[in-house]
Amino acid sequence: MKRTGILFFPAFDWSLGDSHPEREERLLYTQEQLFEEGILDLPQIKQFSPRVASLKDVLRAQALFPNPGVHTEGLDPHLISAGSSLLLGEAQVNGDIDNGFVMARPPGHHSGATVWGNRGFCSLNNEAILVNYLRARFGIKRIAIVDTDVHHGDGTQDIFYHDPNVLFISLHQDGRTLYPGSGFINEKGGPNAWDQTLNIPLPPGTGDEGYHYVLENWVLPRLQAFAPEMIINSAGQDNHFTDPLASMNLTASGYGRITELLKPDLAVLEGGYSIEGALPYVNLAILLALAGEDYYHVREPQKLKRTSLTLAALKPYIEELKKQQQTVKQGFTVQNKPNFPKGNWIYIPHSVYYDTEGFQETRHDYVRECSNCAGTVFIESRRYTEKSILVRIPFEACPNCEQAGYDLWEHLQQPNESFTNGLLQNQLHDKQYVWNRKEGMREF
Amino acid sequence: MFNRVGIDVGGTYTDAVYFRNGRIQNTAKVPTQSENLVETLMNAFDTLKIANEREINQITVSTTLVTNAILQNRIPPVKLLLFSGNGMKVDALPWPVSYTELSGEMDFRGREIAAPNHREWEKLQLSLLRDNFAHVAIVGKFSHRNRLHEEKLAEYLKQSNSTLKMALGHEWGQANFYRRSLTTYLNLSVSDLYHQFAQQLQTAVSARNIQAPIYILKADGGSLPLAKIRPIDSIYSGPAASVLAALAQTEPDSSSIIVDIGGTTTDIGLTLAGIPLLGSKGAQIGAFSTLVRSLAVRSIPVGGDSVIRATDQGFIIENYRLGPAYCLGGNKPTPTDAMRYLELIDYGDEKLAENGLGSLLPPEQRTPKILHDLATEIIDRVVERIAEAVDSLKREWKEEPAYKVWEVLHPHENKEFNTIVSGGGARGITKALGKRLKTSVQLGAFPEVSNAIGAALARPTFDCTLHLDTYMKQYRVEETGEQGKWTGSLRPYREVEGFLETLVQQQVAHYGIESKDMEKEPFDFFPIVQNYQTVGQIIRGAVHLRPGVIGRVQE
Repeated sequence: MKRTGILFFPAFDWSLGDSHPEREERLLYTQEQLFEEGILDLPQIKQFSPRVASLKDVLRAQALFPNPGVHTEGLDPHLISAGSSLLLGEAQVNGDIDNGFVMARPPGHHSGATVWGNRGFCSLNNEAILVNYLRARFGIKRIAIVDTDVHHGDGTQDIFYHDPNVLFISLHQDGRTLYPGSGFINEKGGPNAWDQTLNIPLPPGTGDEGYHYVLENWVLPRLQAFAPEMIINSAGQDNHFTDPLASMNLTASGYGRITELLKPDLAVLEGGYSIEGALPYVNLAILLALAGEDYYHVREPQKLKRTSLTLAALKPYIEELKKQQQTVKQGFTVQNKPNFPKGNWIYIPHSVYYDTEGFQETRHDYVRECSNCAGTVFIESRRYTEKSILVRIPFEACPNCEQAGYDLWEHLQQPNESFTNGLLQNQLHDKQYVWNRKEGMREF
Repeated sequence: MFNRVGIDVGGTYTDAVYFRNGRIQNTAKVPTQSENLVETLMNAFDTLKIANEREINQITVSTTLVTNAILQNRIPPVKLLLFSGNGMKVDALPWPVSYTELSGEMDFRGREIAAPNHREWEKLQLSLLRDNFAHVAIVGKFSHRNRLHEEKLAEYLKQSNSTLKMALGHEWGQANFYRRSLTTYLNLSVSDLYHQFAQQLQTAVSARNIQAPIYILKADGGSLPLAKIRPIDSIYSGPAASVLAALAQTEPDSSSIIVDIGGTTTDIGLTLAGIPLLGSKGAQIGAFSTLVRSLAVRSIPVGGDSVIRATDQGFIIENYRLGPAYCLGGNKPTPTDAMRYLELIDYGDEKLAENGLGSLLPPEQRTPKILHDLATEIIDRVVERIAEAVDSLKREWKEEPAYKVWEVLHPHENKEFNTIVSGGGARGITKALGKRLKTSVQLGAFPEVSNAIGAALARPTFDCTLHLDTYMKQYRVEETGEQGKWTGSLRPYREVEGFLETLVQQQVAHYGIESKDMEKEPFDFFPIVQNYQTVGQIIRGAVHLRPGVIGRVQE
C-alpha cells in the first residue's frame, strides 16, 4: 500500500474550441468512474486541490516568445495544470505522499524550450516546469522522465536535450506513422548530454505484452543505470486500443502493469482522447497501481478488435532496434560565430510546426561544448519576421559557461543585432530576465 | 412572530425550549428514560409550561437515537446484495458488514454492460429464505445512472416473499458505490427503530393536545417534517444544533468559529458569512462511510472533565473522563480544576482544585507560582487542541477541490472570524482561546439547552441537483434518486432552467416547505462530441436552500 496523492483538475469550464478533443467533456467520465468506485475513500489516497504556477516557474523551463505578455490571455488553464504538477511534486518531495497522479487538463509534452503558441494541444510543459522547480527549490540533482504517451514527447525532449542530469525516455508509436513525426533512435541528446535521451519508436500493434517486454528489457535497465532521485511518468493514454488515432492496442490493465513496472514517483496525465472507451478505465488502473491496489479487475467494456503482434515477432525487431540505437554515433557540427564567447559551439538547426494555429518556428540552437557542466545554450528563434533569443545558463554551470552566458546575453542586446525580445534563463542562480528592446529588462 | 418548541433527546438528558413570540419563554432539562420516551417527552412539555398549546406553530426534535443505535451496534442485520461489476476490487475498501456480489454491470452513462444472471437469483432466493432475512438492500455500481438491475431483482424477490423489506441504492443518487451501499444498508437497518420513535413522539405530542407539525433536525442543520425525513439523515443532529444555536447569537452575515466544550468532548464548527460549513464528504458514523450530508464539525476527545495524568515530562490530557473534576468531588485532576484554581470559573471548591493540581507535582514543588504555571499550561494545551481542530476545519474549507478554471482563479477570500463558546467549561477558556485564535470571543447564551435552541430555530434545508444527458435522453436527481426520460431538445438552454424549476416546485410541495431564499447554482454544460459533431449535452445544475435559523436568541 502506498500513500498516493491525486490532483484531479478536469477544467470543466474550458476547451480549446467547440468539438475540439481537448474539451470540457474529456475527464467527465473519468470523474464519474473514480467517484463511483469510491477511490477517494481508500485510506491511502489523499486528494489535493490545484494551484496556479507563476510565470517565474514557467520561465525557469521555457521561453515564452516573443514575450510572456502576449501569452497571458488564455494561459490560465495551462498555468493551473502546471501548478498542479508543482503542488503534487512538492508533496512527494516533502514526504506527504509516496507517489501521486496529476490528472489535470490541459497536457504539455509537445511544448518545448521556446513557445510561440499552442501545439499538439500543449502550451506549457507541465513535467519540465516541475522538474526545474524541484531542482531549483529542493536541490534535486537527477530526475528521469519516462513518456508513455503514444506520441513522441518532443517538447520535453527539446527542453532537456542538452541536460545530462535529466534522463528522458520516450516510448511511442513510430514517428513515420504518427504525429509529431519525430522521436527516432538517432535523437540521443546534445554533445554534453549524449545518451541521456532515449527514443523507442514502436510498431503499431505492439500490445500489452510487447510494451511490457520493452519496459522490462530496455527501459528499466536504463533507468537503473541512471539511478535517478525521482521518476516522472508522462502518462498519456492514447496507447489504448480504443484510441481513434493511434494503433498500439494496449488495455487498461496493461497500463496498470506499466505503472507497476515503472514505479513513478509522479504520473502526469498527457494525451488520450478516447474519453469514454479508455480514459475512465486507464486513469483508474494507473491510480490503483500507484496506490498498490489490485488493478486486474479494471476491465473496459469494449473488447480488443485486432490482435497484437506476437512477442515472438516483436522480440527480434526490438533487439535489432536496441542494437541500432546503441551504435548511433555522435556527429555534431561546430559553428563558432565571431561574436560568440570563447569555446566550441555546436550548431543544431531545428524547426517546430505549431499545428493548432498553423505556423512554423525556425530555430538555430547552439550549445557550448563543455566537459564540466551541461553547457550554456543559445537559441535563436524566428516566427515570420519576429526574432527572439533564449540564453540558458544551466544548473550547476561551470564558471566558464556562466561567463559565456552573460557575455552572449549582453552582446545580443546591442543595437546592431536584429533581435527584439529575449529570455536569460539563469538556472544557476534561479533568476530569469525577460528583455524587450523597447521596454527594457524585467526580472522574474 | 413564531411560537416554537425545540427538543433535543440525548442519551442522558432531554432538553427543551419554548419560544413564544420569538423569545425564549421557558427551558427544560429532564432525564431521558430510554425505555419510556413518551413519558420523557411529556415531562419535558410539562416543564415548559406551555400556556396555549394551540398557538404553537412547530415542534422540532433533534435526537441521538439513530446515532447511538449505530455506534452501539444495536441495529438488525441487513442482507446486502451488490451488482459490483468490474473496476476497483470491492474489498479494497473496508466493509463493516458482509455482502454478496452478483453479476450484472452498468457503465458511467447508465448503459448495460452485462445483464444479471438469473441462476444466481434463484440460489439467492433460497438462501434468503433459509437465513430468514427480513431486510434486503440492493445496490448496483452506477445504479444512480440506471436502476434497472436493482428494480428487477427487487421485483423478483418480492414474488416469493412479499414481506421482505427492501431498499434500493439508486434512491441515494450521488456517485460513490461504496458509500451508497452502506447508506442504503444503514437507512434500512434503522428504519424500524426510527418509525417506533416517530410514533412515540406523535403519541406524546397528541397527549399534550399539541396540533403543531413535528419536524426532525438533520445532520446538515436543516429540519424536515417527521414523515418526510430519511431516518439516517437524523444522525449527528446534536452538533448541527449547537452550530445553529450559535448562528442565532451572531450577526447574520458574520463568520464564526463555534466551540462547544463538554465534559469529555469538544465540538467545533464553522460558519462562513452566516452559513454553516458543510462537510465535503458524507458523514462517517462508526465504521460506516455514508452519503449523509452533514455539517463539517470536528469532535475532539478533550473537555472539562478529561483526566490529567502526570508523566516524566510533565503531564498529558487523557481522552477519557473518570467522574467529575477534583474540585467537584472527583478523584482526578481535570482542566476544570485548572480553571477553578485560576478563578476563571466560580463553581467547585478552590482548595480541592489546588489539591488536585498539586497531585500532579512532587510535594516540594506545590508552590503558588508553579501551580499557577501548571494551571495555565493545562488550559493552553486544551486551547491548543481546539485551535488545531479549527485550523483543520479552515483547511477543509479553503482546500475544497476545484474542478473549474474559474474556481481556481477565484479562491475563497479570507474572512474575519469571531468565536462563540458554549458548554460547561466555556467561561474557563474564553480568554486563552481568544488569545490563541486571535479573535473576539463571546459566551453562548443558555448553554445548558443550546441544542434545543438550535433545533427550535432550524430552517428547512433543501437541495435539488439535476443531471441531464440529452444524448441518452435521461435525467436524474441526486437527492431523491429520481430517474426519468428527457423528451426535450438535444441542446436545451432556457428549457433546462424551466425543467429544474418544475422539479423543485414538485419537491417543495412534497416536503411542505417554502421555496423562497433558494440559491441557484449556475449550470455546467458539457457538449457531447462524436466524430467532431456535437450530438448532445450533459448538463448539471442545482438549487439549494442552505441551513439557517429563523429568529435570534435574545436574553
